[in-house]
Amino acid sequence: MSLIETKDIWKTYDMGKIQVHALRGISIEINKGDYIAIMGPSGSGKSTLMNLVGCLDTPSKGEYYFTGNRVSQMEEDELATIRNKEIGFVFQTFNLMPRATAFHNVELPLIYNGSSKEDRDEKTRKALAAVDLTDRMMHRPNELSGGQRQRVAIARALVNEPSLILADEPTGNLDTKTGLEIMQLFSRLHKEGNTIIIVTHERDVATYADRILFIRDGQIESDELVSTNEKKINGTII
Amino acid sequence: MIFWEIFKMAANALRINRMRTILTLLGVIIGVSSVITIISALDGLEQSIRAELEFLGPSTFIVAKMGIIRSDEDFFEALKRKPLKYEYVKAIEEGCDKCVKVAASSSAFDTEIKYRNNKLRNVQVRGSEYNIIDIIDFELGQGRFFTAEEDLTRRHVVFIGTTIQDELFPGVDPIGKSLKINNVKYEVIGIAKKKGSSFNDDADRVVFVPYHTFVKQFGHPRGRMSIFVKANSVEDVPDAMDQVRNVLRARRHVAYEKKDDFGIVTADAVMAVLNDITKFLRMGLVGVSSIALIVGGIIIMNIMMVSVTERTREIGIRKSIGARQKDILMQFLYESLIQSLGGGAIGIAIGVILGKILISLMNFDMTPSVSAIIVGLTISTGVGLFFGIYPAMKAAKMQPVKALSYE
Repeated sequence: MSLIETKDIWKTYDMGKIQVHALRGISIEINKGDYIAIMGPSGSGKSTLMNLVGCLDTPSKGEYYFTGNRVSQMEEDELATIRNKEIGFVFQTFNLMPRATAFHNVELPLIYNGSSKEDRDEKTRKALAAVDLTDRMMHRPNELSGGQRQRVAIARALVNEPSLILADEPTGNLDTKTGLEIMQLFSRLHKEGNTIIIVTHERDVATYADRILFIRDGQIESDELVSTNEKKINGTII
Repeated sequence: MIFWEIFKMAANALRINRMRTILTLLGVIIGVSSVITIISALDGLEQSIRAELEFLGPSTFIVAKMGIIRSDEDFFEALKRKPLKYEYVKAIEEGCDKCVKVAASSSAFDTEIKYRNNKLRNVQVRGSEYNIIDIIDFELGQGRFFTAEEDLTRRHVVFIGTTIQDELFPGVDPIGKSLKINNVKYEVIGIAKKKGSSFNDDADRVVFVPYHTFVKQFGHPRGRMSIFVKANSVEDVPDAMDQVRNVLRARRHVAYEKKDDFGIVTADAVMAVLNDITKFLRMGLVGVSSIALIVGGIIIMNIMMVSVTERTREIGIRKSIGARQKDILMQFLYESLIQSLGGGAIGIAIGVILGKILISLMNFDMTPSVSAIIVGLTISTGVGLFFGIYPAMKAAKMQPVKALSYE
């Protein structure tokens, strides 16, 4: 069974008199352990697709199955539970709570699923250790560098051991060197068995993945496997 | 567990916006404290008057010239009435078989009581017949009350309340001593028991002298005289009152179709009138001060609306990592509840203190009113919930995608 399966999903926005079709019938299948990049120019619908795949939104038409569950008809609170347990988000702008420490930021998803204090402590430390931030636990985001902030966000995405990590332009706000480090971190997480989807408009970033989906005008333009000679591992072209 | 964590988040958000929180609190504090001030002052007033009336037992009533006045017309009509006469006492004793004790009583307040160098002014001097002690709720502490014979022979004996004992005879046994009432000598023969149930010391600031001795000294007090009547039992009070009315109407030649030209007072009737008055006071004043409370509520709502909009992105982040609608709802509801209850608690404290000051300015005393505290906490919870629910719902219902992309 595939982790993600979409069947002809559409997303339509009502803009007064006209209707805007952000997605026009997308069917994809993603398996556990996949590392996929979604590419496309701005306005192509790649962010809309990510929102649907991430259960932040539901399609106007079509079916979406996540781990075999029909997400397309779910209520907001059911979606929230899936987001909490099954999906870890990494955003371009980090989206951390500015007043909270790194520790509390990472702990937050555990609070929302009612984990015990001991459980939260243990998992939060583990997640922060996985992104090498053990020594920065009690710092607030404004006391951390951009790369460190993004690693806090990644730790928060990892803390519930989700089935899927969804990263939306994770290097967009970082300099090249730091972006490289973050991409290396994703490669490592993938090797450790995580399923990762990265949304980006940079081919350099996309080639860390095994497979690239090109979106244009709300439709899949191409679905290609990254050739081994283009594939980036640890920041070098093999 | 999760609720406690969300509560901590809410408290934290308030701590971060300290100035805003204090200003919001202020709105509730002003509203609650003004409501509580009024409620506790009125409660205190009622308590005090109730205590004053307690000396009238449930089976006792008073016949007086004026009675209970409910309007201006009543008052002017009552002023024109003829005073009560002493002979009515005998007439009531004969004509009312449901009455067990009947006593004439009158009092003077323009008094000065002296023992050696100690002086007390404006003490209630009550001139009563010997059996008054069996009618009103005053008990014998030490010594004795005066006798019928002492009354008829106009002896200068006095029975004193404990306040008089404490203030005039510190460290001295008053029994057998002589004190002066407006420069006339009286011998102290007995002391009342302290009125334990009273909230008001003034209930013990009284002296009793024989009725006829009082008349001799203070003149014939016909206008001021009232007749205290004790019925057989509580159940017999209505019958006893009817009999007394018949006797007096006959004696005073009141025509069949005319209203009574005298009044009958019971503790219940006084309380009923008092309740009528305070009910309107309560509604009016509480109504006015509720406006302050509503303003406080609107401040909370306004601030919460601003806060929700300002924190749209935060809400989006929380939702993206799995906060359910109810988690967000609770967080914002906690924020408005903490503010309204916090403001409420401070407001209650200020209100009770102000109410106490107000009551003491009127020379009454009060115990902190439990009802004021309950009312205060209830209304501030209500205000927090009522004015907090809409902004919290707005936050909870936000769409995660839109909230996340909010700049």
